[in-house]
Amino acid sequence: MDEVIKIVGIGLVALILIIIIKQYRPEFAIYISIISGIIIFFYAIDKLTNIIDLLKQICNQSGVNNKYLGILIKMTGIAFLAEFAISICKDAGESSLANKVELGSKAIVISMSIPIIHNLLEIILNLMPN
Amino acid sequence: MNVDLLFKIAAVGILVAVLHQVLCRAGREEQAMMTTLAGLVIVLTLVIKEISSLFDTVRTLFSL
Repeated sequence: MDEVIKIVGIGLVALILIIIIKQYRPEFAIYISIISGIIIFFYAIDKLTNIIDLLKQICNQSGVNNKYLGILIKMTGIAFLAEFAISICKDAGESSLANKVELGSKAIVISMSIPIIHNLLEIILNLMPN
Repeated sequence: MNVDLLFKIAAVGILVAVLHQVLCRAGREEQAMMTTLAGLVIVLTLVIKEISSLFDTVRTLFSL
């Protein structure tokens, strides 16, 4: 409960600062939005660590290959970083640049998931009668 | 992480805007542009530190 009040407060304060600054210097407004995003993420990071630890523990108990969970978590990190950059680009009005960042991150995520897809296809091929 | 950084950047922004207005009125357009540039660089150094710490944290958290 304490955390959410802090996060909402930071968001609203940053919003007011951005609205004030934007009339005079639009480039500083982008800086404020970047910094407020980073601060809010640092408040959320403790909870995220707990969630990831729980996922790893469940994965170990159920005997699923640990490699796949690692890939999944890495993809989440890439998606988070890419989303951070994409939303800042869109806020600054550069949606074409945002699309390029999105395309790049999508390509990286798909290239990381290739081992999983390969395994799946191999299993299907093994199941099929010759 | 503290919120002071947010206020610091906003203060630099307001200060630079005021300086820009004053110098423009005084007819010193070039110095006004220089102050804007200096403010931009100062804030950029502040922001870049935080961005690098964000990248480090994400890298350790998601084990990238």
